[in-house]
Amino acid sequence: MSDPSRLEIEALAKIMDELDYYHLLNVERDVSTRDLKLAYYKNSRIYHPDANRNLDAAIQERCHEISKCMTEAYCVLRDPRKRAAYDSQLESGDGLRIQLAAARAAHAKNDAERRTGTTPQGKQFLLKAEDEVRRDNIPGAIQNLQMALTFEPGNDGFKELLEELRKKQKS
Amino acid sequence: MADLAIGIDLGTSNSCVAIMRNGKIDVLSNAFGEKTTASVVAFHEDGSITVGNAARANIIHDPCYTVSSAKRLIGRYHFSEEVRKAQAICSYEIAEGPNHGVRIHVRDEDFSLPEISAMVLREMKQVAEARLNVEVTKAVITVPAYFNDNQRQATKDAGQIAGLEVLRILNEPTAAALAYGFGKGLEQKVAVYDLGGGTFDISVLEIGQDVFEVLATCGDTFLGGDDFDDRILDLLADEFVVKEGINPRNDPYALEKLKVAAEAAKRGLSVEDEVEIRIPDVLVGDDGETRSLERTITTEQFGELVQDLVVRTFKVCDEALQQADLTVRDLDGIILVGGPTRLPIIRNAVKAYFQRDPQADVDPDEVVAMGAAIHAASLISVEQEAYLLDVTPLDLRIGVAGGQAEAIIERNTPVPIEQSRKFTPFKDFQESVKLKVYQGDSRQSDQNELLGQFEFSGFEPGPRSTTSIEVCFEINADGIVNVIARDPKSGQQASTEITLSSGLSATEMDKILARDRSADIKQAEIGPEDLDEPSFATPMSEDGEAELPQDDNLELAKDGDLELAADGDLDDFDDINEDELMALASEIDSDPNAISVGDAMEATDDVVPLEIDIADQEEPEGPAIGKLDLKTVAIAPELPTAPGADVDPDASMTMDPPETSAAPKVKEDLFDLSDDVNLCEDRDAEE
Repeated sequence: MSDPSRLEIEALAKIMDELDYYHLLNVERDVSTRDLKLAYYKNSRIYHPDANRNLDAAIQERCHEISKCMTEAYCVLRDPRKRAAYDSQLESGDGLRIQLAAARAAHAKNDAERRTGTTPQGKQFLLKAEDEVRRDNIPGAIQNLQMALTFEPGNDGFKELLEELRKKQKS
Repeated sequence: MADLAIGIDLGTSNSCVAIMRNGKIDVLSNAFGEKTTASVVAFHEDGSITVGNAARANIIHDPCYTVSSAKRLIGRYHFSEEVRKAQAICSYEIAEGPNHGVRIHVRDEDFSLPEISAMVLREMKQVAEARLNVEVTKAVITVPAYFNDNQRQATKDAGQIAGLEVLRILNEPTAAALAYGFGKGLEQKVAVYDLGGGTFDISVLEIGQDVFEVLATCGDTFLGGDDFDDRILDLLADEFVVKEGINPRNDPYALEKLKVAAEAAKRGLSVEDEVEIRIPDVLVGDDGETRSLERTITTEQFGELVQDLVVRTFKVCDEALQQADLTVRDLDGIILVGGPTRLPIIRNAVKAYFQRDPQADVDPDEVVAMGAAIHAASLISVEQEAYLLDVTPLDLRIGVAGGQAEAIIERNTPVPIEQSRKFTPFKDFQESVKLKVYQGDSRQSDQNELLGQFEFSGFEPGPRSTTSIEVCFEINADGIVNVIARDPKSGQQASTEITLSSGLSATEMDKILARDRSADIKQAEIGPEDLDEPSFATPMSEDGEAELPQDDNLELAKDGDLELAADGDLDDFDDINEDELMALASEIDSDPNAISVGDAMEATDDVVPLEIDIADQEEPEGPAIGKLDLKTVAIAPELPTAPGADVDPDASMTMDPPETSAAPKVKEDLFDLSDDVNLCEDRDAEE
């Protein structure tokens, strides 16, 4: 293996801890799954332990560390749900790395919140709306859901449900 | 002299060796001119040992001292289900060794499974050396993708005992895909359907830019060609019991005769529509009369016997496609691997399931060794030509309360990978903690393979509110598991490659290497007789015709019609995971404080009892299973050795972790370590 790649490895190993997953894999924030995969392949050719067996143990160890981190990055970014959890972590400045299980859990939690609401009032009006649906009172349900949305204007789960109810009302 | 490295497909029934030189792949044939060699070892009365097809011919004469299908037992605990199954059907003696390991007892000597497999590997090494005329010391050895860490380690040990430097333990389906796609510049998604003698694997790969990325691997280690033989064997034995009133299973010689007949019949059915089995002398009854057996089996009858086995393979395929997020329409090719895939019933069913013809240009018996040879050559060459990005086939788990196991690294996660979790001790000033590491797909810890128990005392005892232990789970590019426990505060850490807990200790390994039995292995003497009389299990000849046994005790006749369609019910797939999730979800709804098991991540503020027990000094040692010797290494606190080690130790305990370092922060999932499995609390520093 040529010297340039040794330099590349050493340089990346040095700054690896300061890079987010996008920078680590050298992709844009809006990278498509396809391009992400190609970037991962390209990086593997340089940093995979198999590519550097002929270098000394210290460099191999660095490759191993880089590879493990790149695998983690790839696993998070290729999964839209984990990626969403990671993006929100980045936005809130909560660190550059996320454990896979934590990403999965964060998404599951967001999902649950989307379904049940995050504020007591939101939750309550959602429950009322669901009651009205059971009674076949769609307009009543819509009213309650609109109330829920005034407490949680950003809740996509509520919006989706409202959209559904409106369709139902029309038909 | 250029470095040479071979690829060995160490199979349950047959092994195969290949080499790649100057871009050309050769499957190396043995002294008999056969490209596959039986994975059978025979121990003779005079102390000599034979390996290979000659040994297989010995089975019916000397069933108690002829060891076959050792791969089914390698890396397993003596108490495991598979060992019980093998005991019921194997004539050789399966004994219990140290640490609940398995030993084969032959002629007053105990052999570990790695030793038996080493004899087969050494045979393959010699086959290669005889062909190449040079010593060969490096090899890539393949294993079923679904092998767990214990089985991989044991296989690696076998290679070492055989005098080989094992460059890589490679997954069989990955090897097959490599052989199929190497150097062709393909952009494809392929499925590898690998039905071996003892295991079934399905892998879905994406090939592009000479990178072979495994998208998903699923398998069943309890399903293989041997099970097909067993179905015929059971039929023959049961009918014999009814007719003669004697159970042939109780007579090792009779059992071997039936087994050989069953396997020959199966092979016959891969080319004929009907086979006739005749064994004139199954056994001699108490009355001194010789009992015989005659029966015809048609493809249809065989199909009925094995229908459920075939269907089972497709349930695994469903799972793999789902994990890869693909449908059969997304696939560009199907590669068949393993002798049993020659069976028309399998070929037809595969065609029906995948809605396309499987690749015809790939030899199912040789393709894995060829792929291993390609990878071996690539691993010793300067310029890499193909990259394998493999996945871990099984969840890596840690034991939690209620006999459950929580996944830390999920299956089908690419390797190499490292994931870590933080724990706190249960008591103030607790001195050591014990963790149990499992591999497997079940939330029930006892249904997973226990890789080892991990005891860590290298942390500074203190109030639990300020004490945390970080446990790192790593799977390297070899698929081998490493676990490191460390105290982020002191930097003290204990690390271990989870050494095969049912396997060989370093001392045992040294002993084995010292008592080199290779001198006792008789080299195959090739005489005209040997060549004229192929043993029972002769490999297929070039044109795909089975060379059937020429023994007058066993005749196979052909006749009839062949048809066997795929089951219409193939695509029904029980989505267990989803059901479990639903159940879990309702649990969360009903009682937010009663959540346990595996849900620690999903509901971090809830109680998560853990089955991680404290090793109190005065407490007697638990069962010795998987007891690990840990080297405790003191490391200067200012020199953390892995990413995440330099996380502020206090962060785990505070509500709002201070961002003190520029280093990336590892998300922490905190578990308390408890000696009372039902009284642990889970805390999340983020909450």
